[in-house]
Amino acid sequence: MKFQSQKVAWLFFATSLVLLALQLVYGFIMGFAHMGYDGLHEWIPFNTARAVHTNLLVVWILSGFMGAAYYIIPEETDRELIAPKLAYVQWAALVIVGVIAIVGFHFNWWEGRKFLEIPRPLDFLVVVDVLLFIFLIGGTIWKGKRRTTTSLVLYFGLLMAALLYLPGMIDFRSHLFDSYYRWWVVHLWVEGVWELIMGGLVAFLLIKLTGVDREIIEKWLYVVVGFTFLSGILGTGHHYYYIGAPKYWLMVGGIFSALEPLAFLGMAMYGIAMARKGGRKHSNRLALVWTLGTCIMSFVGAGFLGFAHTLPQVNLYTHGTLVTAMHGHMAFWGAYGMLVFACMAYMLPELTGRPLFKHSKISEWAFWTSTIGMIAMTGAFAVAGVAQVYLERMSGMDFLDVQEAIEVHFFGLVLAASLFSLGIILFVVDFWRSGLPLGGITLKAEGLPAGGASDVGLEAPEAVG
Amino acid sequence: MLSKSAARAFFLGGTVLTGLVFIGMTVDTHRQAPARTNTAALTDEVKAGHVIWTENNCMGCHTLLGEGAYYAPELTKVISRRGKPWIRAFIKDPEAMFPGRRKMVKYDFTDEQIEHLLTFFEWIEGIDTNGFPADPPYKPVDGPVAAGSLALADAPEKFKALCVACHKVGGKGGIVGPALDDVRARYDRPALDRWIQDPQAVKPGTAMPKLPLSDPERAAIVDYLLGAQ
Repeated sequence: MKFQSQKVAWLFFATSLVLLALQLVYGFIMGFAHMGYDGLHEWIPFNTARAVHTNLLVVWILSGFMGAAYYIIPEETDRELIAPKLAYVQWAALVIVGVIAIVGFHFNWWEGRKFLEIPRPLDFLVVVDVLLFIFLIGGTIWKGKRRTTTSLVLYFGLLMAALLYLPGMIDFRSHLFDSYYRWWVVHLWVEGVWELIMGGLVAFLLIKLTGVDREIIEKWLYVVVGFTFLSGILGTGHHYYYIGAPKYWLMVGGIFSALEPLAFLGMAMYGIAMARKGGRKHSNRLALVWTLGTCIMSFVGAGFLGFAHTLPQVNLYTHGTLVTAMHGHMAFWGAYGMLVFACMAYMLPELTGRPLFKHSKISEWAFWTSTIGMIAMTGAFAVAGVAQVYLERMSGMDFLDVQEAIEVHFFGLVLAASLFSLGIILFVVDFWRSGLPLGGITLKAEGLPAGGASDVGLEAPEAVG
Repeated sequence: MLSKSAARAFFLGGTVLTGLVFIGMTVDTHRQAPARTNTAALTDEVKAGHVIWTENNCMGCHTLLGEGAYYAPELTKVISRRGKPWIRAFIKDPEAMFPGRRKMVKYDFTDEQIEHLLTFFEWIEGIDTNGFPADPPYKPVDGPVAAGSLALADAPEKFKALCVACHKVGGKGGIVGPALDDVRARYDRPALDRWIQDPQAVKPGTAMPKLPLSDPERAAIVDYLLGAQ
């Protein structure tokens, strides 16, 4: 850690892990409901659990991205964040919006649009919060001593993510366009600009961890994100097959979706090639393991499994079945969950001065149990999903009869999810043991007037490990 | 060897090019939308139904046009699959229709709200969806109708609206419950009447719901099933 203001990252990471833990709880609620144990139906019906589960996902990933950006940008631009105090305000605003939204979901306060359930008044708060974040990051780059490709790609990704949130807020009379522009947010995020953010973060981690020359890493970064947009923008078409949009989307969406795995394959090859090329052995081996993990798992989950059901001929039968859940879980965990974990595994030892994430057995187990757990979960979803497709969509069996027939696979899912959760718990244990950042979370060190987060009174119990 | 500026040009060029194509196709999608989605029929009632659909997060369990969650049935063709009378009865008390099975929230919609939802589903069903949802290619074909089977055409209206959603007669209808062609061999009038009137009282835990039928309507159905017409 070179700059005091980088410490704000810790708060965002801690928030990420709290939200992830809560996401798992709601995931279990849904897993049990699918098994037929829906005892919480009166208080937390499935649609509430589902909205909480997916929105927590989005917010914890975004919180992780923000934390990583606050860590990386000072280092890349070689200066403190402009107005670090505002970064704490931005954090607090994010938490407040998140809490209100999650509580609201339990009282039927939402707009039922998948992934964007946050009700409209809160959307405006989200926009203000994200604009503040973009201002802080952009201002720091603007005033920075140097401008690196890594920071620009990361910033462009974050800025586009913010702008693309807006089409999702337009109120359309037609369900077609409600859906059409909802995907501008959701798809162009996860298969577009979030991959840009991923590219920026991975490039930063590779530069730090492998010691390969920055010019080489950043050159290939352009190639990888180039493939991402080349395939991902028109790949949006795979959401337009059956919502009333013209027929040519079948062909355009099919072809460009088929190219999407190339971007992820590029990312995987890029990570592995740079790690091999790197002569320097960085002391934080686990951060490199997580970094390569996210490169590889994103290819399998997002690239390969996505491709497995985006061809129109296949998608006609798998669309809207548990096959989507199979792809979704490994894609989000592989591409974005593990990415945030890679950032944390690298940055926390730097922030806290405690090397736990570098070599602790617990951290190593955290990686393997969560990864194997997620692979097993994907397997359980795959079996349930494929069975559903053949029984319901191909043979015409009644929906509920099919759901009861595949209940047993959700027992497998819950077992696998328990293994996955164990991995997350182990990671949280090391996060806890690492303690607060060096010198505690305070603004005083930067010579700023007292106040803000320092009033919270957070101080590191044992500052130096 | 590829230079960094060439790599950057590839990234920017590809992004701008596909971005422009994407925007062009979006404009064309707007141009074609009125014909493909029957915008003329998109009345205020349809929009009201759409608002009910989103404000209660229906896609948190159901899918519509394949989009949503995978906990409850796909609803794109629900009007032709179930028929309006069945849906009206179902929304009023979802658990009554599927006792002991997966639950749906009871929303206490007004009759007007239910009609709005139905118009919304009707409008959705009119959208040109490029063939989704597909007819199941391996659906078992109905066998030859056995001699002595009932004809669905002769059935009372309420029977056609509600009972066939789950039961077959004359080879036509749903597959959730047993076919009803041979009911007359298994039931006498008082037993059948009591069963339809309150299935739970006869066989607790049965999937057969208590249907909203008036006494004459129930009598007509019993007459029909016993072949007494």
